[in-house]
Amino acid sequence: MKKLKYSSLFQFPVLIGALLLGVYLQRSGLIDGMLFYWEDVVYLTKQHIQLTLISGSLAIIVGLPLGTILSRPRFIKMSEWAMQGLNIGTTIPTLAILALSMSLLGIGFVPSVFGLFIASLLPIVRNTYTGLLGVPAHLKESASGIGMSAGQMLLRVEIPNATYVIFAGIRTALAINVGTVPLAFLIGGGGLGELIFTGIDLFDTEMMLAGALMTALLAITVDILVAGCAFLMVPRGVNPSRA
Amino acid sequence: MKTLKKLASVATLAISMTFGGVAAAETIVVGGKNFTEQQLLTSMTAQYLRAKGYDVDTRAGMGSAVLRSAQENGQVDVYWEYTGTGLIVYNGVKERFGRQEGYEKVRELDMEKGLVWLQPSDANNTYALAMQASEAKAMGIKTLSDMAAAINGGKELVLASNAEWYAREDGFRPFSKAYGFKLPRDQIKRMDSGLTYTALKEGEVDLALVFATDGRIPAFDFVILEDDQNFFPDYAITPVVRQETLDKNPELDEQLNKLSGLLDNAVMSRLNAEVDVKREDIAEVTRNFLEQNDLI
Repeated sequence: MKKLKYSSLFQFPVLIGALLLGVYLQRSGLIDGMLFYWEDVVYLTKQHIQLTLISGSLAIIVGLPLGTILSRPRFIKMSEWAMQGLNIGTTIPTLAILALSMSLLGIGFVPSVFGLFIASLLPIVRNTYTGLLGVPAHLKESASGIGMSAGQMLLRVEIPNATYVIFAGIRTALAINVGTVPLAFLIGGGGLGELIFTGIDLFDTEMMLAGALMTALLAITVDILVAGCAFLMVPRGVNPSRA
Repeated sequence: MKTLKKLASVATLAISMTFGGVAAAETIVVGGKNFTEQQLLTSMTAQYLRAKGYDVDTRAGMGSAVLRSAQENGQVDVYWEYTGTGLIVYNGVKERFGRQEGYEKVRELDMEKGLVWLQPSDANNTYALAMQASEAKAMGIKTLSDMAAAINGGKELVLASNAEWYAREDGFRPFSKAYGFKLPRDQIKRMDSGLTYTALKEGEVDLALVFATDGRIPAFDFVILEDDQNFFPDYAITPVVRQETLDKNPELDEQLNKLSGLLDNAVMSRLNAEVDVKREDIAEVTRNFLEQNDLI
């Protein structure tokens, strides 16, 4: 509770600052300039959200089981290599991943989704794996001590204890995803990158900002949504933010 | 104390290097846009001027408007611009001119801004819409009017455009108005300049925005739809130099005009194809070209 009190002190100047910024932008005509592209912004934002949702959910659907399987004792030898591979994969720039995806699948929506899927897969698998391995040994021992099978142990002890770390991975993945979607424009995938890149090419600041601000807004929204999910879905006993 | 001395000597060195650089001969900055032909022209001009004894810096790969502002601000000294772009995009000229009148008009307008259009080459790198030869034949489309009629007749044609053309004053919106057709948003795919060719070749789109001098048009068996309403102006490739740069380097205009005199559509198309189709290195292609013409 103490923390909250402090933050309310900070909120006031921030709000005043935001108001002044808004007034300045309105006066400078930037807002009108950006609204000129409103139709484009709406159309492209839809495409942007589509790309993020499809590639992000695919990455979650594939990444969670993959990370879980790799954390099982049976695969521990293989998983060392797999994690090394994933770690190296994470260092590849997302633009390069998109370019590779283009050389495999051509151009347009499908390769963009595939490239984004690969780029978001890595943090999810990694966090699922480390989260599950990080469950304290004494908890696992107690679980087997009271006669739980391996499956029960995974579902009732390991996963609940690892959810917080897993969610952190999903959050990172989706933030990277939203921020990478603009690059999908380059391989014909659409999204807000159209406004950003055309704005850069034509030296049209309003067009560029219309795309960039919307992208930033989306990234923040996605982050808040995932954080909200984590807050609600991670069990109270192992949730640092609800302790 | 030792470290202080070291620091002092490093600082002196740094400062002397910074100001020493300014005192030396002025470098000429050669700019270029973000597609193959421009990369070729930038590389060609840089190598040619270096052989003539200039210090040359290159700034390649910018969008048209950015490059133009850079030149107006003096950050770029010379680059190759297209007459149509100079007229319509930078000077907002609405009416259409013939080849020579257009050149004279843009030369006159840009003179006031301290930019000099030298001798135009014979290469006309106009925008064009291309189709796969087989598909165009099957649909009986030869001209852009045929295309507009097909679209208005309910044919669902998908167009690949680059970022810039979609939003330019000589770009998609005025173009579709001139030919009297409308394409829904989801039938226009925007992508990087070089990819429209791939998209058309792979059959992902039916129409692609292309540059007339691109070597991939014959190589991939595309046909260019005839601009029967004369919507597109002439886009003669011309070296544009800042007046200040010319004043400082009195021989520069003659040297660049010599280069400009060697370029025409056949030459540009061949050089573009060597890079885009045969995958040869840009610097090598331009060096060979300069050597063949005894310029270096």
